[in-house]
Amino acid sequence: MVFLRSEEHLERWLGANGWEPGATVPARQMNELARTWWWSRLDPGWQPRTAEQSQALLDVVGLTGEFWSLQA
Amino acid sequence: MDPFDLDVRRHVYFSVVANGRPPSTEDAAAAFDAPKDDIADAYRRLHDAHALVLFPDTTDVWMANPFCFAPTPHRVRAGGRTWTGTCCWDALGIPGALHADGDVETECACCGERLELTVREGELVAGADLLCHVLVPARRWWDDIGFT
Repeated sequence: MVFLRSEEHLERWLGANGWEPGATVPARQMNELARTWWWSRLDPGWQPRTAEQSQALLDVVGLTGEFWSLQA
Repeated sequence: MDPFDLDVRRHVYFSVVANGRPPSTEDAAAAFDAPKDDIADAYRRLHDAHALVLFPDTTDVWMANPFCFAPTPHRVRAGGRTWTGTCCWDALGIPGALHADGDVETECACCGERLELTVREGELVAGADLLCHVLVPARRWWDDIGFT
């Protein structure tokens, strides 16, 4: 999961490595996800999330569809 | 998850925040007044549960996500320290986990050009025009978390 300057740089990076594209996420959206996903990580009473709870966090920031499905 | 494993995990994360690094199994054994092997077993169970990531074939903590303890291009100033983020998601997650503002210094994966992102009160106020790319579908993230 990497940062890239632009779509042009993304295409060049994928081509140079021979990789198929995955999913591109604007940094603002990734920040929303990261803030939500990691917010409770340091809570003293932290408990692992279920897959359904994690999926809901992806859903709420608009990352939906097969690529973002946590279930095999 | 076993209550002892949750206690060990909490100790790891509190140590990371307090000291900037995770405890070795020796450090944690001393803190818990427990045999080192019991701590090592807990670390392995936490790794298997994806609650920590250990370096391959060791009981040394590689990642207590979003914090990383191996070099990456992602440096994050937040909460009075400079941290390393595993990836773009974790780099932006460090201010979130610390409930703090943050400054991310990283690089474009294509050209290596320096990139900066600024998080203030949870909002991305600089670097919002940048892109993140996720190569691996979500259901396969843990097949090889280092590559992911």
